[in-house]
Parts: sequence; C-alpha cells; structure tokens
Amino acid sequence: MSFIVSEAVDLYGPRLEKIKHFLGTMGLRYEGDAEYTVFLTDDDGEILGSGSLCGSVLKYIAVADSLQGEGGAAAIVSRLVQYAYLHGRKKLFLFTKPKNEPMFRSLGFFALAETRDVIYMENSRSGLKNYLDSLEKGSGVQGAIVANCNPFTLGHQYLMEKAAGLVDTLHVFIVSENKSEFPFDVRFELVKKGTAHIKNLILHESGDYIISHATFPTYFIKSSANANMVNAELDLTLFCLRIAPALGITKRFVGTEPFCKVTREYNERMKQLLPDHGIEVIEIPRKDDISASSVRNAIANWDTETLRMLLPDVTFDYITSNLLNK
Amino acid sequence: MKIITTGVAGTMESSDIIVRIEPKDTPGVELTLESDVMQQFGKQIEKVIRETLTDLGIEDAFVNAVDKGALDCTVAARTMAAAYRAAENTDYVWKEVTEK
Repeated sequence: MSFIVSEAVDLYGPRLEKIKHFLGTMGLRYEGDAEYTVFLTDDDGEILGSGSLCGSVLKYIAVADSLQGEGGAAAIVSRLVQYAYLHGRKKLFLFTKPKNEPMFRSLGFFALAETRDVIYMENSRSGLKNYLDSLEKGSGVQGAIVANCNPFTLGHQYLMEKAAGLVDTLHVFIVSENKSEFPFDVRFELVKKGTAHIKNLILHESGDYIISHATFPTYFIKSSANANMVNAELDLTLFCLRIAPALGITKRFVGTEPFCKVTREYNERMKQLLPDHGIEVIEIPRKDDISASSVRNAIANWDTETLRMLLPDVTFDYITSNLLNK
Repeated sequence: MKIITTGVAGTMESSDIIVRIEPKDTPGVELTLESDVMQQFGKQIEKVIRETLTDLGIEDAFVNAVDKGALDCTVAARTMAAAYRAAENTDYVWKEVTEK
C-alpha cells in the first residue's frame, strides 16, 4: 500500500478535524499546540498516519494498522526531525508508550527513563551524559531541591537555608522551561541573588531532564486523571536513576504543600519511590504558608504590603521596579 | 572546510541514511551511528562517513547518523550534503563519490 506525504504548519479547520478523528481511532487525544504536522493519506484523501512537532517535542505520532511495515513512521519522523533541525532545534524529545520503544530507537531516539506507563526518549545518546558532566559537583553529604520559583519567595529562601544546614552541599535545580509567568532567566537570577549568602549551595538549570507537568504530554494516557501520577513517576525515575547518582545526592528536600493537590500527590509519590533508591526525603514545614501563587495574586492586585511580607528584597525590588510601575 | 553550524541531510526511510553534522571545539570526529544493519555493515558505514569528511578536509565534528540500509554511495552523498550545509558552503565540488 502506498501513501502520499503532506505537511501543514498550524492545524485548523476540516484538516484538523480529520486528523483529530484519525488520532481518536488510534487511541490518542489531540490536546492542541501542534506547530508542524506531517500526515499520510491514501489516494482518496483518507488519513493513514500523522505526527507533529511541538517545540522540541515530537507528539501525536500514529500510523494506521493497514500501513504497518511500510515505512510510514519513518517518513513522518524524518520530516519532523528535518523541520526541527532547520529551525535550530537540535535536542528533540518524545514521550510514548513503552511498547513503541524499539520503533523510536530505530529512528535514532534513546531512552532517558522508563516506567510501566511511559518512556521518555531523546535524539542523542549523550545528551543526558553531557548535561550531567556539565554540572558543578559538590562533596560530602549532598542534598537536592527542585523548584520552579515563580517567583522566588521568602518560603523558597527559608527552605533552601534549612536544607543547606543539613548537608555539606545542596544542589538546587531551577526548572528551565519557559511556561511560567516569570521567564526562566529572571527566576534563576532572583534565586542566585537571594541565595548568595548560602555558601554550600550550587544552583543548576534543570535542562530537559526535570519533567514538570507543563511539558509533560498526556495525549496517549487513557485517563487524564492518571496523567499527573504517570508524570511524577517518570520524573522521579529519571532523578533517582540518572541525576542523583551522577552527583552523589542522597537527600531530597521539599516544603510541605498545603495548597496544591498535584504537588502534594507528587510529594507523596516521592516519599514512596526515593527511599528504594537510597535517597531520603525530608519534608520541611513551609514558612508562614507562603506560596508563589499568593505572590502572583498580590501582584495582580498591586498589593505591595502583602508582597513586602512574602518576598525577599531581590524579588520585591524586581517586581516593584519592573512590573508594578509599568 | 570548517563546520560552523548544524547541517542535516537524508531521511530515515528505507535505503536512506540521515546524517547530522555539528561543530566541535576539540580535535577529531566523534561519530555516533545507529543502523538496522549494524552487525553486518556498521564498520563499513563508519569508514565511508569518515573518509568522506577527510576528503572534504573536515577534521573536527560531531556526526550523528541513523542508517536505514543505505548503499555506500548514498552514505557518501548524504555526508557530503550535510557537511556542505554545516560549513554554510555552496561552492560544491561534487566529485565522483564512488571513485577510490
């Protein structure tokens, strides 16, 4: 059976509906944000295969059973990869069901982490190793905190001070992706300034190896209610098996989470999984119930008095001079 | 010829190879190859890629290739195309790729 290969930048209208329908028949849910799509059709225009690029992530890759073994997936992935390279994206990633691993491995992708529900792959054998090699190393008893710091609050500062007091080196990973209200450069810079007094703290960018729910696609997971747990397990597996051993991390610190259900579930899963890998989870009571979302609310209401109470000087100064006066 | 950016040529379709070449600051060509026929032809494919780069005067580069059973001439042609693109060079000298 032969097929015609077509491409589309941005999906909309009847074509989007046809591809959505096709994905549905293949057990995939279209969740939007397809930036560039390659699709296969027969002579009558019926969709037989599809795949999309969303930033640096390949998504929605499916080929009809009638086309299996005909090179449909290779035709789709080749074009998605070429498009990405031409647009300067060299590091590409995908999330898929573990049973698809052999197919994507044959298309030049390598497993980063795998759970029973999902496998995370990158188009480079050495991408993660290069990242881990590039990280500044510590010594003695080492701990880690992973945080978005959107933006950096007195709560974050307190957690980092407390944690740093319990280890010889504290590694702090700031989530790199730019899907937060405060851009990464700003978040990182504020944490850097606000933790300068903590001498045994090393600050890192998370790169593509901390998987937050903003990047994690759920289109191939049957029940979306389950998706957060699948996400958490994948992220924690990658942390336990690759990141922690490379740096010698044996403790992970989190603040107690009174507000956000997703974070609370994530923390619970962490307490179950990490000890199996020799990593102790230490929960530190949150200072005065400060949360980054209450800061964002206060910004929306121009409530400088509240901000004064929630933020360290670096963040307060940044917000008052960059956001509130404009 | 000097590699200054990322260059790509080829596809992952049957009988083809996709070759990606990137700049490298340290000496030598670092090659990663995936192939459906690694056992039988892995060494030969690597040899063709390395020789093609040497012929073009490229000494330092990261090369990543995913092979789907390409013939030697295809391997050489895709490597050359990727190298010219990575060098942002359009003064092609399409020499006989199979002549040795």
